[in-house]
Amino acid sequence: MKNAITRRSLLGRISAVVAGVVAAPVAKAAKTVTQKLLVSADAPKGYDPTKHEWVMALDANRCIGCGLCAEACKRENHVPEGPYFRTWVERYIITKPKAGSGAARGETLVDSPNGGINGYPEASVPKEEIQHSFFVPKLCNLCKRSPCTQACPVGATFDAPDGAVLIDPTYCIGCGFCIQACPYGCRFLSPVTKTAEKCTLCYHRITRGLKPACVEVCPTQARIFGDLKNAKPDEPILQFYQNNLVEALKPHLGTEPRVFYAGIDKEVR
Amino acid sequence: MSRLFKMPPQLFRIVLLAVGIVGAYSVARYFLTPSSFGEYGWYRGAALAELATRERFYAGKQACEECHSDEYQKLIKHEHKSLSCEACHGPGEAHVQNPDNPDVKMAVLHYSLCLRCHEANPSRPKWHKQIVSKNHYPGKCTECHVPHSPSEVP
Repeated sequence: MKNAITRRSLLGRISAVVAGVVAAPVAKAAKTVTQKLLVSADAPKGYDPTKHEWVMALDANRCIGCGLCAEACKRENHVPEGPYFRTWVERYIITKPKAGSGAARGETLVDSPNGGINGYPEASVPKEEIQHSFFVPKLCNLCKRSPCTQACPVGATFDAPDGAVLIDPTYCIGCGFCIQACPYGCRFLSPVTKTAEKCTLCYHRITRGLKPACVEVCPTQARIFGDLKNAKPDEPILQFYQNNLVEALKPHLGTEPRVFYAGIDKEVR
Repeated sequence: MSRLFKMPPQLFRIVLLAVGIVGAYSVARYFLTPSSFGEYGWYRGAALAELATRERFYAGKQACEECHSDEYQKLIKHEHKSLSCEACHGPGEAHVQNPDNPDVKMAVLHYSLCLRCHEANPSRPKWHKQIVSKNHYPGKCTECHVPHSPSEVP
């Protein structure tokens, strides 16, 4: 008989079924163990990124260039000492044109010594020759179509559903492509972690209902932060759009920043 | 058992190798792909939670108000109402966590903090009150000005 059930074949079949039944949960358990070794995820509960739309607005008419924001950002986010900033304040000085030169304005001088944290040295041009001068706080522009995300070869940087553009430090290989891709110069390679870093909108604060550190310490409310999905009509962020003519930096690049400015000049890039 | 199609042995080895490679890849992918990958998009969803678990230094004005409401009430009635406590007093999360610990101290205040914002600078907006400190007064700011209520005379 060809298909006779012998003791050997029966035992073989039974052990195969048992092995199959046992293998599935063992594989699942093994997977969980493997992943615990690879990543540590103690997720804080109660924050759903799909229910928020974070934006930042900057009013250059209100910025006094005190540099408290840049200092607070460094402290809050362990940004290394030296020329590394997640946010900084630039001073723009536009000089008057030379008489008879036919130009509407003279030179544009931009500086940001130590991000503005220690104040600014005396302007290199005398006060009488300044046509306009103002401070512009800079940070990640939170692009809707972010060039850094497109440049990342390992998918470490991504657009979170709540509007923040974030970096997964466990995936980042520190190649620096994103730093070159960012048209706003908002990224740097950390000498400590050897990964790319940038403004996270203080993700560890906003997910707990706090403002980002720079917004918290800004004395003149030049920085306005809000959640467009949950904003009430009288909230500062909507008031900002109501009361100002706003513009984004480098709109011709099609990056569609979520960070908007009021009161800046065409020289600001 | 007769074979319908007799595979040449060299081809059979290549097919076996290909199946082995794909199989090994599938097993590795099953074990190594984080479970949160693809939760929100083509990235590890748990990265959001990990970024949110970092320690904080600044507690926020609300936390200050809970204990120091008298100072807070004074502050919001005067010109400095838009200032956060931590703008001058420095980061306070450690103090909020351990309010009774005398080793946890807030920043030491210095008169350079006043000048950080109020020293005259042609780049500062005109509405902002500014002084040229060396022409203004040689002494301490607080001899004439109260930081929490700048319009009051001490």
